[in-house]
Amino acid sequence: MFPAQLKNELWKLFGKKRTYIGFGAFLLAQTAMLFAFKYTRWQQDFERLLDGNGYLATEFISILTVSVVMLIPQIMLLMPLYATLVGGDLVAKEAEDGTLRMILSRPISRLRLLFVKWSAGIIFAVVLVLALGLTALGFASLLFPWKGMFVFLPGQAFCVLSAHEGLVRFACSHLFLAVNASVMMSVAFMFSCFNMKPAAATILALSFLFVSMVMENIPFFDRYEDWFITHHFKCWLLIFRDPIPWSQICQSEIILVAVSITAFIIGSMAFQVRDIKS
Amino acid sequence: MIELSHVTKKFAGRTAVDDLSFTVSRGEIFGLLGHNGAGKSTAIGMMLGQVWPTGGEIKICGHDVQSNRRAALMPVGAIFEAPVFYDYLSGRRNLEILSSYTAPTSPARIREVIEWVGLTGREQSRVRTYSHGMRARLALAQALLPKPELLILDEPSDGLDPEGIHEMRQTILRLQRELGLTILLSSHLLNEVEQLCTRIAVLQKGKKVFDGNVADVKAARGKVALKTNDFPAATRLLRERGLITDSADDRFITLAAGRTAADIVQALVAADLAVNGIWQHEQTVEDFYLNLIKPPSADIKI
Repeated sequence: MFPAQLKNELWKLFGKKRTYIGFGAFLLAQTAMLFAFKYTRWQQDFERLLDGNGYLATEFISILTVSVVMLIPQIMLLMPLYATLVGGDLVAKEAEDGTLRMILSRPISRLRLLFVKWSAGIIFAVVLVLALGLTALGFASLLFPWKGMFVFLPGQAFCVLSAHEGLVRFACSHLFLAVNASVMMSVAFMFSCFNMKPAAATILALSFLFVSMVMENIPFFDRYEDWFITHHFKCWLLIFRDPIPWSQICQSEIILVAVSITAFIIGSMAFQVRDIKS
Repeated sequence: MIELSHVTKKFAGRTAVDDLSFTVSRGEIFGLLGHNGAGKSTAIGMMLGQVWPTGGEIKICGHDVQSNRRAALMPVGAIFEAPVFYDYLSGRRNLEILSSYTAPTSPARIREVIEWVGLTGREQSRVRTYSHGMRARLALAQALLPKPELLILDEPSDGLDPEGIHEMRQTILRLQRELGLTILLSSHLLNEVEQLCTRIAVLQKGKKVFDGNVADVKAARGKVALKTNDFPAATRLLRERGLITDSADDRFITLAAGRTAADIVQALVAADLAVNGIWQHEQTVEDFYLNLIKPPSADIKI
């Protein structure tokens, strides 16, 4: 029954228009950033940076380079918003609409119902990240050639790669981004399991992430950075370092997966003791 | 089929259901009556495992709802007031989704139920295009999909027009007649309850104040309608002679134990009071319900 229940949960999720708000926003933002990169001083600054480091700029201003440039702000701003929007809706929206009462008049356990919903949320997070990466590549290919990859983020990454190596790492980074999106969704899902409105669940999850990010950036907390979830979200950028710090990446990924599972468990416990009323 | 034993539910110190016990036997149509906030929906929520009781035990088909919810709810279908669906999906998709939470359901079974409730031809339309009556029929369809033995209907006629209410009433009777279902019905429509139910329980402020057969309610033991030229004088006399215990509305008297209408007529004629008519009063469920829940200060007594 689990595959049928998951299929139906995905029908519910992808059948409503608000699920696509995130995809639409990504398309608009990517278009805007693509034109900004192409037609402002942004591209010239990048070329100067490459030239200054002894690389031929024309060989590295490419589809892959521009794709990562387009991705970074969206991952920082839009991805948390849309992952938490869907996560916050998963349980709380059904409770608000009254459909949850209809479901819970059937002999499905609450834990199983939540697991189905959470799994659908994880699938959404993965699809969101895949769409983000593929559309970035697609849009960038309209205006830039397929050449080597250059990634620069002050203090985080600086690397110059061949097109093939760049593509492999770009794909790998999306695997880690999918984990990030899943964690964001799971945090919102956890709040959604409590007795609250969907918007409140989304706002609480965003607040949680925002507070984590702010605290992580306060110098006093430097020595505690491992305790902040947003610190581990950055591990996707580590794939663009040479050599790749796999142990650090694995550590962050394990912590992120553990946070996601913990959020699910807390949400399940809260949902288990709740009274579902009209 | 349903057994509630000393069930209590408290919300933040407020008692919503207080020591509620009743049973519903197989094949019955059982009515749950009460004003808004009397605890009907909470009681139904507890029967369906949606609301956790503070105390007591609820069994459906012999299975405890709290400890064995899956077995208890397997043979149950439920409809709630103002049925809500995934409006952006088709009626058929809604049925597929809801049935997947019970057991695998074949497309043939879904077709059969759609036909039974009369939604054939509209099952592929989005639910947002459905009228209130069609939504009610879809709600019925989702309740019937798992071939239930027990239907729990929480104000199923809520929001329906008179034609819709009539249709729902006929459907409920048909369900019991053709499918032999046991039905628990919560409703504000006392006329509907009177026409449908074989037994009722009345809740007031979370407590059960009555549990019995509708036929007994209607028989209204000892209540007699009396038509006379001077009702106050007649009741005064009858009360003095110990023939009645109560009177109301300038029309009704309640006979004392062991007394008959003939005793009343004899006493009034002997006292030279004309008797224009006397007959056994068959009260409606509405009369009974209103008398039961009205505050004591509103009683009319001589």
